[in-house]
Amino acid sequence: MKFLEDIILKLGAVDRRVIFFLIGLAVLIPLLTPISLPVRETPTTVKFYDGIEDIPKNSKVLVSFDYGPSTRPEIHPMNVGVLRHMLRNGHQIYISCLWPDGIYMALDALEEITDEVNPDNVSTFDIKEYEDYILLGYRPGAEAVIKGLASDLRKVYTVDANGNFIDDIEMMDDIKNLNDFAYIFSGSAGYPGTFEWVKYGGDPTGVPMSSGTTSVQVNEVIPYVQTGQLIGLLAGMPGAAEYEKLINVPGIAIQGMAAQSFAHIVIVLFIVFGNLAFFIKQRRDRKY
Amino acid sequence: MLLKRYIPIAIVAFFGALTLSAWFIDNEAIETFANDDATQFFDIIAAFAVFLGALNLLKLQFIKVLKQQSGWIYSAVAITSFFFAFIIGFFIRGAYFVGEDVYFSQKAAEAAILSSGSSQVAVPVDWGAHVQTDGSLFQWMFKYIFSPLSATMFALLAFFVASASFRAFRARNFEASLLLVAGIIIMLGRVPIGSLISSWTIMYILAFSIGIGINSYVKNRNIVFGWILGSCGLITGFGMTMGWPIDQPAIFFLPALQEWIYLVPNLAGSRAILIGIGLGIVATSLRYIFGLEKSYLGE
Amino acid sequence: MNNKFTVYTVGIVGIILLTFLLSVVPDSLNFFREEQSAMFVFTLIVIMIMLYEVKLAKSSSAPTFLRTIPGLKAVEEAVGRSTEMGKPILYVPGIMDMNEVETVAGVVVLGHVANMTAQYETELDVPVARAIVMQSARQVTKEAYLTQGRPEMYNEDMVHYITDDQFAYAAAVNGIMQRDEPAACLYMGKFFAESLLFAETGNSIGAIQIAGTGSQTQIPFFVTACDYTLMGEEFFAASAYLSKEPELIAGITAQDIIKVILIGFILLSIVSRAFFDLDVTDFNLITWLGL
Repeated sequence: MKFLEDIILKLGAVDRRVIFFLIGLAVLIPLLTPISLPVRETPTTVKFYDGIEDIPKNSKVLVSFDYGPSTRPEIHPMNVGVLRHMLRNGHQIYISCLWPDGIYMALDALEEITDEVNPDNVSTFDIKEYEDYILLGYRPGAEAVIKGLASDLRKVYTVDANGNFIDDIEMMDDIKNLNDFAYIFSGSAGYPGTFEWVKYGGDPTGVPMSSGTTSVQVNEVIPYVQTGQLIGLLAGMPGAAEYEKLINVPGIAIQGMAAQSFAHIVIVLFIVFGNLAFFIKQRRDRKY
Repeated sequence: MLLKRYIPIAIVAFFGALTLSAWFIDNEAIETFANDDATQFFDIIAAFAVFLGALNLLKLQFIKVLKQQSGWIYSAVAITSFFFAFIIGFFIRGAYFVGEDVYFSQKAAEAAILSSGSSQVAVPVDWGAHVQTDGSLFQWMFKYIFSPLSATMFALLAFFVASASFRAFRARNFEASLLLVAGIIIMLGRVPIGSLISSWTIMYILAFSIGIGINSYVKNRNIVFGWILGSCGLITGFGMTMGWPIDQPAIFFLPALQEWIYLVPNLAGSRAILIGIGLGIVATSLRYIFGLEKSYLGE
Repeated sequence: MNNKFTVYTVGIVGIILLTFLLSVVPDSLNFFREEQSAMFVFTLIVIMIMLYEVKLAKSSSAPTFLRTIPGLKAVEEAVGRSTEMGKPILYVPGIMDMNEVETVAGVVVLGHVANMTAQYETELDVPVARAIVMQSARQVTKEAYLTQGRPEMYNEDMVHYITDDQFAYAAAVNGIMQRDEPAACLYMGKFFAESLLFAETGNSIGAIQIAGTGSQTQIPFFVTACDYTLMGEEFFAASAYLSKEPELIAGITAQDIIKVILIGFILLSIVSRAFFDLDVTDFNLITWLGL
């Protein structure tokens, strides 16, 4: 028994580099040898999915890429999934970016969609710029951009990301401001993002909107879901994985779930051993 | 005194009051100022102020390199990276189209045309679009240098969360124990592995934990043994009757439990903190507007 | 107390009357948005309470009780520790710009910390992520050193700009921590994901860490990894707490009074909503107020 206690005490005082190494293994191994774990949808994700399904067919939707490379693993699968879902339902997509990095994330997402082929090697989505989507691009100003979009889109965007004049693009003919969209989605990693879209975009205009956020932000954003200001929510990578399951296109979020699961188990085990060591030490100190 | 104290306070008071009143006054000019112009004024000032910051950065890094202070090589890398991004952002288009293909320089584009023998012309990308165009030099820098570096720094969080949790999650008192248990439930319930752990496993773990608790207070083997036998028997009986469904009873199913923790006690607590923070922001802002707080001016 | 209660009651009634008058004035003469009446009343009540408390504080000689905030008490201890060890103090005023109230609060606390470092002749290092913050922080630090009569100790490069980018800034600050090994690390301002990077690195070098932020999502990380954390309102009260000026402390008293009124309003709304949902009455306070 004392031998076991000594081992637990040693585990409780382990160098943090050992923890780092084990976490690294816990994340790396499932990524290298894919392990399939069942993904269970949560009500917020189902609500999000249903919210998109409820958009009238062939509508105009705004998708905002408000994240960068650091939060790409969490948010990118959400945005790619949303693009797939929207295109499948025949909507026209208008892409904006409140982050300077967002434009590159948008380009990558579009490339991923365009390069996707079905088992017969035929392009799944034969999308054309200025017919199915338009990349409006990045504009600085955070909430000022959203306020501008809410009043007059042409105050904010005179040209698109390719430098073409907005007024010369047929897809933009019926778009004056946010009220002309049927839905707003923001894949957001912080500021500017979900809050700004709700405060200055969705709420004042009444346009239905939703968002995908990092796991850390979910706490802050969930009140908006409860009040109905957001129709559902994609909460971090688990939310992205649930959404991938719902749209029936498994992607990197589902693949990442095994890695996240094992990492969480390693952390929990260390916490348990740490506490056991704490109690054993307390008991021994009391004896003496 | 007038320039350093009273004028700045007057400016803060005027613009603060104007922006606040825009919420209640139905006047287009004030609304436009508060909603658009004020934010844009700030963005323009901040954009120009970046020059000051950049000059300060370069000055300090150059001094380090010239004096060969400890770590001067990193300063040299910083200066090189700064000028590399500056030059390719402002002075080099970095994207020449030959049909669908994109080349970094006109020479490379022309060489490609020559080698393919086509009659196409290298079309340079427009200034402005050159930082956003797919395949441009700027995008290459973003994709292969900036993105991996950013992602690496963010990835450090995974390791730091583990070491911080290991160090800090100790059941020192009741509140800390509550935090610990809630943390474990959320961590396991949030990921797919949580839905593989049946409610019955949790019930058995709970029964044993309560047994350990009873033992530390009562110190009677018979009572502890009786509790464990009784509770495990009860759980087994219920399980066999119900057919061992993995997610029933729901109160012990980790994903359902984590959702309840998220949507009820956690949400209540965060709303309370949010209200407190909101009030703090309101009070602090009013102190600045009314000139009660002048410390930010250096007073 | 009775006098205060009377003043507030009369004031609230007066504000409600004023709002009512503004809303009945014909639209051709009126510029007031009726749909914002509830928020207008609340804003005026907050302003009234704040200004009256400041007036009372100016005329009263009795000190107002402020509960001890361990994090703020520890600031002086941290400066003292750094002085004894001969190591610098690292101060991070958040990663956002001066348009965020938290950043302004962080710069204000920097002024107080700079007063202490000037007094104790301790080295101060303030890496910033925004150029405007750099200018403001320099001004505040310079004034502190001048006030303490140590202008020769002030060097404008104490406050230096790193970069706007979140993780590049985090990497640079971590590098500063690893190389310079400050004895105390103070994080006061608005933070995002980099908060844990700072806190864990500070922990690894054995520095005493005091954090203050209104960023709700980052508070748990700071609580876990730092020695002291000022959460939300405590951070905004820091300036009043450190300066001990009666007008600023009056602002905190006003905040507390407003909070009590808000709690009362929330309870009233809950009861009203409960009656509405149970079909006891058709009246719903929140809907009626247009909130």
